[in-house]
Amino acid sequence: MIRPSVQLTHDPWLAVPAHVTEVIRESPGVMTYEITLDDPQTHQRFRFEPGQFNMLYMPGIGEAAISISGPTDCDGRIPHTIRTAGNVTRSLAEAGEGAALGLRGPFGSRWPIADCTGRDLVLVAGGIGLAPLRPVIYEIVRHRDHYGSVTLLYGARSPSGLLYTQEHAAWRSEGITICTTVDRAESDWEGNVGVVTLLLDRLRLNDPNNTTLMMCGPEVMMWYTVQSALRKSIKESDLWLSLERNMNCGIGLCGHCQFGAQFVCRDGPVFRFDQVASILRTDDL
Amino acid sequence: MKYSEQSIQELLEAAQFTEGLSSEMISGLAQHARLLKVEAGTVLFAEGESEDEIFVMLSGRAALEMTVPRRGRVRLLTVGPGELLGWSGLVDEGIMTATALVTSEAQLIGLSSSRLLELSESDHHFGYRLMRQTARAVSRRLVATRLQLLDLYADMEPESDQDLK
Amino acid sequence: MTDVEPEQSPAGFLNKVDLQTLIDQLHSEGYTVIGPTIDQAAIVYAEIHSVDDLPIGWSDEQGPGHYRAVNNRTDTYFAFTVGPHSWKKYLFPPQTLMSVAERTSSGWRFLSQAEAPVEKYAFLGVRACELAAIQVQDRVFLEGPWRDPVYAARREAALLIAVNCTQAAATCFCTSTGTGPDCRESFDLCLTELADGFVLESGSTRGNLIATKLPLTEATASQIESAAREQQRAVQQMTREVDLSGVHDLLVQNPEHPHWDDVAERCLSCTNCTMVCPTCFCSTVEDIPDLSGDRVERRRQWDSCFNPDFSYMNGSIVRDSIRSRYRQWLTHKLGTWHDQFDRSGCVGCGRCITWCPPGIDLRDEIVKLQQHADDADSRESGSEGTL
Repeated sequence: MIRPSVQLTHDPWLAVPAHVTEVIRESPGVMTYEITLDDPQTHQRFRFEPGQFNMLYMPGIGEAAISISGPTDCDGRIPHTIRTAGNVTRSLAEAGEGAALGLRGPFGSRWPIADCTGRDLVLVAGGIGLAPLRPVIYEIVRHRDHYGSVTLLYGARSPSGLLYTQEHAAWRSEGITICTTVDRAESDWEGNVGVVTLLLDRLRLNDPNNTTLMMCGPEVMMWYTVQSALRKSIKESDLWLSLERNMNCGIGLCGHCQFGAQFVCRDGPVFRFDQVASILRTDDL
Repeated sequence: MKYSEQSIQELLEAAQFTEGLSSEMISGLAQHARLLKVEAGTVLFAEGESEDEIFVMLSGRAALEMTVPRRGRVRLLTVGPGELLGWSGLVDEGIMTATALVTSEAQLIGLSSSRLLELSESDHHFGYRLMRQTARAVSRRLVATRLQLLDLYADMEPESDQDLK
Repeated sequence: MTDVEPEQSPAGFLNKVDLQTLIDQLHSEGYTVIGPTIDQAAIVYAEIHSVDDLPIGWSDEQGPGHYRAVNNRTDTYFAFTVGPHSWKKYLFPPQTLMSVAERTSSGWRFLSQAEAPVEKYAFLGVRACELAAIQVQDRVFLEGPWRDPVYAARREAALLIAVNCTQAAATCFCTSTGTGPDCRESFDLCLTELADGFVLESGSTRGNLIATKLPLTEATASQIESAAREQQRAVQQMTREVDLSGVHDLLVQNPEHPHWDDVAERCLSCTNCTMVCPTCFCSTVEDIPDLSGDRVERRRQWDSCFNPDFSYMNGSIVRDSIRSRYRQWLTHKLGTWHDQFDRSGCVGCGRCITWCPPGIDLRDEIVKLQQHADDADSRESGSEGTL
């Protein structure tokens, strides 16, 4: 169980007022909303760790759990990349820039980037799974010399599904190797075609014992990524995944997000592989 | 990367494809193998054509493509170092089921499928090991293809933008 | 909230005719008294104003899928066990206002309910299993990384007057869960009913203060012995026990056990068990706007892991079968609850057995899971080939 590091209010059920200050259309149906907290003091106090999420609240509609996808020093202007799918995200998309909403958070567990000094890092992302990993990339870029080799393996359904492509060049120039692939190519696509696990199969590791792998994407993709990583002798305790379940309260009190003994909102969404290894393949747990 | 200095024997021994084959078997292979360096844009083999060579990629990238009427050539998969291309001669009738297009300068080892089959007939132990390795490569390709087929990101990427203001 | 270990005062004795003084004292201290009462042919918890509201002369008869309130033709006040209600009805109500959103000229203002005034409840008639259940929910709502201030406020204000059980229903198994039948701690006052009155103990400073206002005599040795005998009857009547040692591993390690299919055929996924269970805490928070949409209440309502869309995610339901939902409930209650909260979620009250329409008895289900697991083990070590 992880104790919260930052509490914006004394009441974890209470949202703080905020506004959407910028909207970026990342790909069809996927938007990044930059949320700014209204109260300057709360704005100052907001801190999060890579991997955490906020509950974004559209009064009258409901709340949605959204990964924070910005740098940890985002100074109160907090980016959230979301696929427009349910009522809350649809109403957020319709309201757009200037929308008034509420925010509860940050909640959840974090990627182990703070424990990775001197290690080689492999990040494997599928589709919108790059969003919860982007804060890790920003962290790496901020302190590039803390880490060994850093590789991002990123797959999407099609080229238009690849997120943050305009930042990839900047990340590459900071010493991050990026390999992208798509499940289905479009006629002008010159890059890799095939599932992202193939990129991991092909990756040569300096030292599997000194490699930490963090992944986020569809569960089937993560399962095969784990298999590939284990074949490369990366230790189970160096594999980290971000899971998803139905979230309602975000604070481990409503029971919705339970997965085995874990509350995904409280013990996750980031898990070390061995914490969930025994239950990952039971699809109706 | 200069492979011309290394013998084909050494390269074959290092390739995953030859795992489980004895040194004698590998040198048997090496006698009928050639080392190629291919520029981007070269077609290694074309869909529908008969092709005797099976290739082991050492470096670079190649794309497998199939032609679909009114869609043209559709890229299905990118193949990289350590992987096999063109096994139809070895396991089936020898008619290629896809076009292999080199997309970034590649070094490959080419092996004659008909020669490999002859060797397998006379030495079943060698043949068994060869087929095992080939089957493993095909199996892995099948799993990768299935993962593509599952369209895992489908619910993450709608076909079109929703009509939103 | 009940504080820890005050000086132990000697037990007192309250005459039956003086029970009303207890209720009067509670009222004078501003408590709303909640206690057992007969409603719709069952013994439930509701506000009581006088001793006449209590189920005098009523007992209960319970079994799997069976409940009867039975008149015993005497003047007993507490000669029954537990009914369909539990105290979570008041501490973790079926519907609670959690926060309010009000539209302003510049956006939204959010109002916490953490400091909203709460009713001061005195719970009269809390059984040992129920004291344990309250402890279980305390751990859920107060001791996690996020503390629920709405539960905390209600809990802090509540006064617990326990009652020792003097009989057990066929569905009771608190001796198997180690949570009764005697009330040992965490109460403010505790009563044991005798023919002519109540042996009364206090368990906290608050309890002490109330006791001093009552017309008590010091309990005699003979009264104390009678109380012990009455309590012993409850132990003796609990004949259907279940061995729960190793139940965590049994459940967690057997998600594909064939017996889940068997239960799934009987279970209706009706959610009765979760509603009557005193420790179940699943809920859903929903938005309820007013007509203008400028004021929105966020209300938490009881939900259940048996509801099909409880696990809905990204267009489909994760637990899409009764089998997976029953497995979730039982594995959580007796298994993973230990991992989460360091104790069992079950207090042996038996309500889930009584109020299950097809009468599924989890004591039987555990035994069957254990049997088959044992069979599977012996098959593996034998030489009977592949299963």
